[in-house]
Amino acid sequence: MTSVSTSRTAMPIDEFAPSAPARQKAAARPLRWLWLAVAAAVLVYLPFVLHDRAILGYRLSNIQLLNVGLAQLNLTLIAVLGAVSLNYLTGCAGLVSIGHAAFFAVGAMAAAATGAQLGLPFLVSLVAALIAGAAAGVLAGLPSLRVRGLYFVLSTMALHFIVVFAFSEYQYAAFDVFGISYPQPAIGPFALDSALKWYFFLLPIVVLCCLACNYSLKHREGRALLAVRDNEQAASSSGIDVRVLRLKAFAFSSAIASLAGALQAYYLTTVSTELYSLNLAISFIAMIIIGGMGSIAGGVVGALVWLLLPSVLTGFAGELGAAGGGLAKIFVEHRPQVVNLIFGSLVAVLLIFAPGGIVGAARKLTKLVRPGAEA
Amino acid sequence: MAATDNPILRVDGLQMRFGGLTALDNVSFTAGEGEVTAVIGPNGAGKTTLFNCITGMYRASAGRVSFAGQDISGFAPHRVARAGMARTFQNLALFPGLNVRDNLLVGAYRHGASGLIEGAVLGPRARREQAAAEDRAAEILEFLGIPELAEAMPGELPYGRQKQVEFGRVLMQDARMILLDEPMAGMSRPEKTLMVALIRNVRHRYGVSFLVVEHDMPVIMDISDHIVVLDFGRKIADGPPAKVQQDPAVIAAYLGSEEAGQAVFAGAA
Repeated sequence: MTSVSTSRTAMPIDEFAPSAPARQKAAARPLRWLWLAVAAAVLVYLPFVLHDRAILGYRLSNIQLLNVGLAQLNLTLIAVLGAVSLNYLTGCAGLVSIGHAAFFAVGAMAAAATGAQLGLPFLVSLVAALIAGAAAGVLAGLPSLRVRGLYFVLSTMALHFIVVFAFSEYQYAAFDVFGISYPQPAIGPFALDSALKWYFFLLPIVVLCCLACNYSLKHREGRALLAVRDNEQAASSSGIDVRVLRLKAFAFSSAIASLAGALQAYYLTTVSTELYSLNLAISFIAMIIIGGMGSIAGGVVGALVWLLLPSVLTGFAGELGAAGGGLAKIFVEHRPQVVNLIFGSLVAVLLIFAPGGIVGAARKLTKLVRPGAEA
Repeated sequence: MAATDNPILRVDGLQMRFGGLTALDNVSFTAGEGEVTAVIGPNGAGKTTLFNCITGMYRASAGRVSFAGQDISGFAPHRVARAGMARTFQNLALFPGLNVRDNLLVGAYRHGASGLIEGAVLGPRARREQAAAEDRAAEILEFLGIPELAEAMPGELPYGRQKQVEFGRVLMQDARMILLDEPMAGMSRPEKTLMVALIRNVRHRYGVSFLVVEHDMPVIMDISDHIVVLDFGRKIADGPPAKVQQDPAVIAAYLGSEEAGQAVFAGAA
């Protein structure tokens, strides 16, 4: 058969048809643009607020700025790339990986070889990181052809240790024990020599990567990835080559993670092998669980919470300590422990009461508040 | 007999062993182009195993399967699908994380060629394929009479509706042959009537061939052109409904005794 012609005389099944609520998509459009404009304005103005420690001329105290600085925001943007790309692999393609820190290391190595050793331009070394990441991703994905579940997770951990070993060998051979130093990044004549410039360089990259992940999921192969995650048999009997598609997803995700690794290395100016710990890999998993698996927004929210909340809590704990009182002493003397305790409890509460992460919980709430509206 | 004149599917000496158990023992039959061929048999006769061997989910121990003139023995499931054969599953296989429209869109996968990156950067081919698939999904939802369910999640729908969605995804594949594994199982009587109408409609309008496993005898006798009967992995009968229905071996195998069997088949006559 070539096409099912649109016969309006469909099957006589109206007796089953529930009356679906009419959707007012067209009406929601202008509002959507308004929200986008507001978000863009905030994202553009935010770094100036943090840089000047003032809003529209009014000076803000540290606690009014939630104890967040611009450098932290930049590192958060880089972490967003990591979380979003891991969510693409784990939440969307269904492959749990604790090898995500390894791809950051691959990116840092590619940037070191091209940028620090060969002296190639910054943008070239970013492209090199993308390519190296995709290649490493394919290698990392190969075990997925044979093993699955926990065994596959272990294979990604093996990858982590192999890459970290290679990184330290490379670092000691080509640089020194203190780490790899990266040259001053510049795009043509424009040097990225301040946190503010970095912010406006990182922001479009992060937005574009998020959009790319999102768009790919709404087209042929990206949707096929979601199908494979949900039901492998049905996906393969729809003509999807599950194995090849998984490798592609791996390459796509690790290319972004590797780009993030190169950006991070340049941003920190010096990185050493200790940075790429299993802790880092697990923190990416924590981010997507907190934010919400399987959506781009989940990765963004998770990275924001994971990187900014401890600092916010530290700020408040300091305030409370300064205010005096019974608890003050504990806060002042054991600030990191108290922050860890609060942060850990928050994560535990979230896992119990919102297994879909913050984004999942927010979607449920909007459904409750506005039934029939698209979450 | 039409089935042998113009076969679209030819199964030849198919054998499937799981350790010491022979699930399929030298099964051969043909299915005619544009016909509805039914595979019936008691529980454990090997019907689903047969489907899995034909569609590449299992690798047969011996035997050949040729489809539309092509030898598809040993093909992986996705290659079988690309050769133009689609299937549904006994216990429903939908994508619970995707809404009804997206479930259907996955069925259009084999008609496209755009990759992950093309979708990510909104490449022209990816967008073209997406638009074509969306149009087609809208047509099929209309055809199934459920256009209002496009945004619904499969889990929110009753079982019969979910089966329709799965059928819709299969239609998206534009396959030459559709394998239905117990399409009516768990359905109410009106839902079954609807499913029969859908199968008839698709077959007559587009000349799609069907291979159907089903337990509902009246339905089988009603829609099939040709019936293959399996028992303990062996083919015990093969022919038009009227002939198979009278076959004493079939009746005995099916129900243990000829009298009880006749009582069941009587409902279909």
